Amino acid sequence: MSGLLDARNLVKHLGGRRVVDGVDLACERSQIVGLLGPNGAGKTTTLRMLYGFLHPDEGRILVDGVELGRDLVRAKRSIGVCTQDDTFDGDFTVEQNLTIAATYFRPRPTDLARRVAELLERFELGPYARQKPETLSGGYRRRLMIARALVHRPRLLFLDEPTTGLDPQARMGVWDLVDGLRAEGLGIILTTHYMDEAERLSDALTVLARGRVVARGTAKGVLGDLVGEHVIVVEVSPGAAVAAWLTARGRGEPASVLGAWHVPVSGEELAEFARAFPALRYEVRGPTLDDLFMKLSLTP
Amino acid sequence: MSWLAAALEWQSRAVVARHLRVYMRNWHTAFLPPAVEPVTMLLAFGVGLGGYVATLTWQGRPIEYMSYVAPGLLAYATFMTAIFQSLFAAFIRMRFQRTWEGQLTTQVALPHVVWGEVLWAGLLSTMYVVIVAAVLAGLHAAGFLHMRVALLPALLPLVFVAGCGFAALGLCFTAIVPTIDHMNLPVFLLVLPMGLLSSTYFPLANPVLVALSVVNPLHHLAQVFRGILLGGPVAGHLAGVLILSALMLGILVPLDLRLLRRRVLGD
Repeated sequence: MSGLLDARNLVKHLGGRRVVDGVDLACERSQIVGLLGPNGAGKTTTLRMLYGFLHPDEGRILVDGVELGRDLVRAKRSIGVCTQDDTFDGDFTVEQNLTIAATYFRPRPTDLARRVAELLERFELGPYARQKPETLSGGYRRRLMIARALVHRPRLLFLDEPTTGLDPQARMGVWDLVDGLRAEGLGIILTTHYMDEAERLSDALTVLARGRVVARGTAKGVLGDLVGEHVIVVEVSPGAAVAAWLTARGRGEPASVLGAWHVPVSGEELAEFARAFPALRYEVRGPTLDDLFMKLSLTP
Repeated sequence: MSWLAAALEWQSRAVVARHLRVYMRNWHTAFLPPAVEPVTMLLAFGVGLGGYVATLTWQGRPIEYMSYVAPGLLAYATFMTAIFQSLFAAFIRMRFQRTWEGQLTTQVALPHVVWGEVLWAGLLSTMYVVIVAAVLAGLHAAGFLHMRVALLPALLPLVFVAGCGFAALGLCFTAIVPTIDHMNLPVFLLVLPMGLLSSTYFPLANPVLVALSVVNPLHHLAQVFRGILLGGPVAGHLAGVLILSALMLGILVPLDLRLLRRRVLGD
């Protein structure tokens, strides 16, 4: 495997605040790295540094062996970017959006007409080729954004919340496309708020909180490290005793969802809980990335 | 990459080519305003106002009001085309269409986007002036105007340079106005005063206005065009156009970049 992205010790201050604080991130061929974190964690700023929008105050970014800070133009030849918001060119049709995007790269993509036809077919945009992008549904707009990011045959693709606002069918359509791109050897950095998406698509996760990496690894490993082995779901109403049990273990109030506490615990703690509350009705489930987000959001 | 070198790099040309492609797709409607505008203005100012002011004195000699206004129209077309392109059209591309953000995800960087807008405004001004000049040449052939039409092509390099300078000025406001509704501020505080205090439609006599016009590039542009097309001194105003355009480009483009870096990239 060869490294497509190697970012080390990235630091960025914005508005006098240290919003990214020593972040490392790497991605290899045929790998999807999920970049996660609650709002304000520094994901977008990190991503914008990685694809050359922002200059890091400290740190170094290598893209396909080229240092971004030294040769931005060359490094960006290897990068495809699908931003969170639609940024296609509304003055052009779907097909023209692909050809006009290709004019912003040198060397120019070879055999452009065939490349555009191939992308239109692959992303099922052929029937809409002569339409303006704003006439497309949300799912097809996303397809166009991803297709446009690929027109110059990049090796590393940034997908910033690619399925936000899509219906389940359209989301799964995008998942299939992303999975296919990975199979072809692309390295992909993915940010998303959908935990099922991150779990299903990502080979590795990097979790940010308050500008720092708080965990990295597989979804299972990250959850084990940051959340726990199990999550007890218990009604809040008889909560005084449970709260006292948590306080005795140095734990604060857990996340509350629709009148139920979601308490992450280790296997040992689960056994203790069962012994402490034999008559209490509760549910035990495995941890999810939603639990991780809630935990990070509650951590001051 | 220096901010100045970016003007000559392929990415800036790619941005200009994109704008040109959009414009040429609608050429039949896009070329209509510059063709109709001079006729309207000549009717309004030349025939209408000219009915009251048949001749006036310029450079110590009498001159028909229509002939006085015609070179001013060329300067005014340069100014208005470039400034409106860099104010409204650029703002729409930046804020609503998000064309800039799309370009910035490629090998195009912010200096290329900015230079692309500046060069495009200069090119569009030149294209507009070519059409206005063609209409004026037609009016000259019909006997409504008297000027040295053979020298019209000599104006075009100046139009391009001045148009780029005006665009650099317009982009400053594009970078700082919070919403498109606030464009009224530069329009009423800058564009209209510059247009009116420029000797485009009437000569300036008040000493205060004359003194102010020294720093108005549009005034120098109108006077250079008048000097070339009607036969008169050119050197002083030519220097005025070149110096003020160079200052606008040399000072305002780096300022545009600084302001837009914060606004567009959040840096």
